Amino acid sequence: MKILAIDTSCDETSAALTDGTKILSNIIWSQSSAHAKFGGVMPSLAQRMHEERIDWVIDRAIKNSKCTVGDLDAIAVTTGPGLSIALGVGIDRAKKLAIKHNKKLIAINHLEGHMLSCLAGPNSESLELKINNLQFPALGLVVSGGNTLLVKINKIGSYEILAQTTDDALGEALDKGARMLGLGYPGGAVLEKVARGGDIKTYTLPVPIAGQEKRQMFTYSGLKTAFSRLVKSEEPLTKVKIQNLAACFQDVAFTHLVRVLRYYIIHNSSFVIHNLLVGGGVSANIEIRKRLRKLCSQYSINVLFPKSKKLYGDNAAMIGIAAYFKAQRNEYINPNLIDRKPGAKIFD
Amino acid sequence: MPGPLTVIVRGKHKLARGVESENGKVGIRLPDYEFVQKLVGKFGKPITATSANASYKKRPYQVSDILDNLSQKQKDLIDLVVDAGKLPTRDPSTVIDTTLDEPMTLRQGEIKLSDKNEVLSRSEENTQNIAKEIWQHFESYLGKRSIVFALQGEMGTGKTQFTKGLARAMGITELVTSPTFAIENEYETGGNKLYHFDAWRLENSEELNALGFQKLVLQKSVISVEWAEKVADVIRGFDDEAIIIWIKIKFGVSESDRIISWGNL
Repeated sequence: MKILAIDTSCDETSAALTDGTKILSNIIWSQSSAHAKFGGVMPSLAQRMHEERIDWVIDRAIKNSKCTVGDLDAIAVTTGPGLSIALGVGIDRAKKLAIKHNKKLIAINHLEGHMLSCLAGPNSESLELKINNLQFPALGLVVSGGNTLLVKINKIGSYEILAQTTDDALGEALDKGARMLGLGYPGGAVLEKVARGGDIKTYTLPVPIAGQEKRQMFTYSGLKTAFSRLVKSEEPLTKVKIQNLAACFQDVAFTHLVRVLRYYIIHNSSFVIHNLLVGGGVSANIEIRKRLRKLCSQYSINVLFPKSKKLYGDNAAMIGIAAYFKAQRNEYINPNLIDRKPGAKIFD
Repeated sequence: MPGPLTVIVRGKHKLARGVESENGKVGIRLPDYEFVQKLVGKFGKPITATSANASYKKRPYQVSDILDNLSQKQKDLIDLVVDAGKLPTRDPSTVIDTTLDEPMTLRQGEIKLSDKNEVLSRSEENTQNIAKEIWQHFESYLGKRSIVFALQGEMGTGKTQFTKGLARAMGITELVTSPTFAIENEYETGGNKLYHFDAWRLENSEELNALGFQKLVLQKSVISVEWAEKVADVIRGFDDEAIIIWIKIKFGVSESDRIISWGNL
């Protein structure tokens, strides 16, 4: 089943062609270098850049897949969550294409895309086998700039939120920590690099809700405050101090995530956890992957990460994968009824 | 005194157990209300009083407001209710803590320590409750004018915590999280709608209007804007259409302390 997928939820303009869980093309035009100048994202700039790039990105995705529009079985697009005016660009294009070429349209939740991104791959058959071997319910974890979410996957398409952030997302907290250290935007990736040269034992930062993991939430506001005080007390900052501060901040942020996850794994009695599906930009961080692998090996859980670097951050191929499962369930949407859902939850 | 003022002092540990707080403080109030003054006079000793103002509940102005928020078990503990009818809608008393290095306002009523509205928050929960108090002060504009809470304060001071309290006071039950990534969050439960912006990632203040801020103001919406200093000129442009409450949150002496000041200038 060939699907053209489009994602314009935030900074990246992306289009992909997928065939089942196989990726035929995955084009991502990143705006982050344009935004870096501003130290953030300018919504109207984001919208304009999506507008400027979207047709080129879609054409490229189709060309690289060696398919034609006529080969398509459906068109899929992210409807949320994301930046409202940015989402609108992708939705508008997908809708027009679906009407013009008389194709079925599928609305996809961006978080579901991240959650299922580990099922995507260049080789379809072995992956199909892997998917067939997945045992549900399974656990799903999305760690990105906009979300920190632990869910129970009853089966693909049916999700229950087990824990979510009550303030900042993990990626957002890392970005803010980087900003406090003057490391620029987007800071999470820079923080990871800088942290490699630091010693996590240099400073003590409080692990959020340590000992109260049963509250089943993620929270980074207290850590952020403590870190801001620590950074101020260490001024003027030297390279060594920045490395140590970055290492400590990242260590505590990840420790919290792993502790909440461990609590859930230990105290869960509703099902046997065989699989953990991980997705989202922060899972590109080598340290967090290491810690999640370690945790999962302790409890004999099979952990799945996305297969390529492109699949960690925002991309349209993961939208195509999620759309493939939705198409199998016959969940299409009338092009005249599709609308943006900037605040969508994973079960929406 | 007498008047709407509660003074918190260090106790001498001569009161009955449980009257002083766990860290030995006690709040003293001398109400300018004849019935209570006569009651205390006749009794010959001070009387203890619990707060009638339950967290996140409507500020009570009549006996039914209190009874409606009590369980049957709690109601059974009450021996006598003296009903003075419906009270005039006044702010609650100002609460001043004198046990710190310098006197600090914990709740701002009619009486002020300085010429500005400034209170001390000792926890995230406390910040949320202060937001509730400020909301109740301006809530009467709901539906008549747009109400804009322009939040200023460094990273980690609790701007999102403040908005959480605001939402809770408005009856919103959805989880309020940081809008930094999405730039705008919308909450709509319990009949009220709250728009939650974060200007941190905006570089140009005009971007706020591109996100629909102007439209929301004209629709008389309730809006909270974090990092409002970055878009102050745009917000100030709506002085006529909106009640704009500028909230400043600063770090205090101890790690969990915050100094929250506000004004609608």
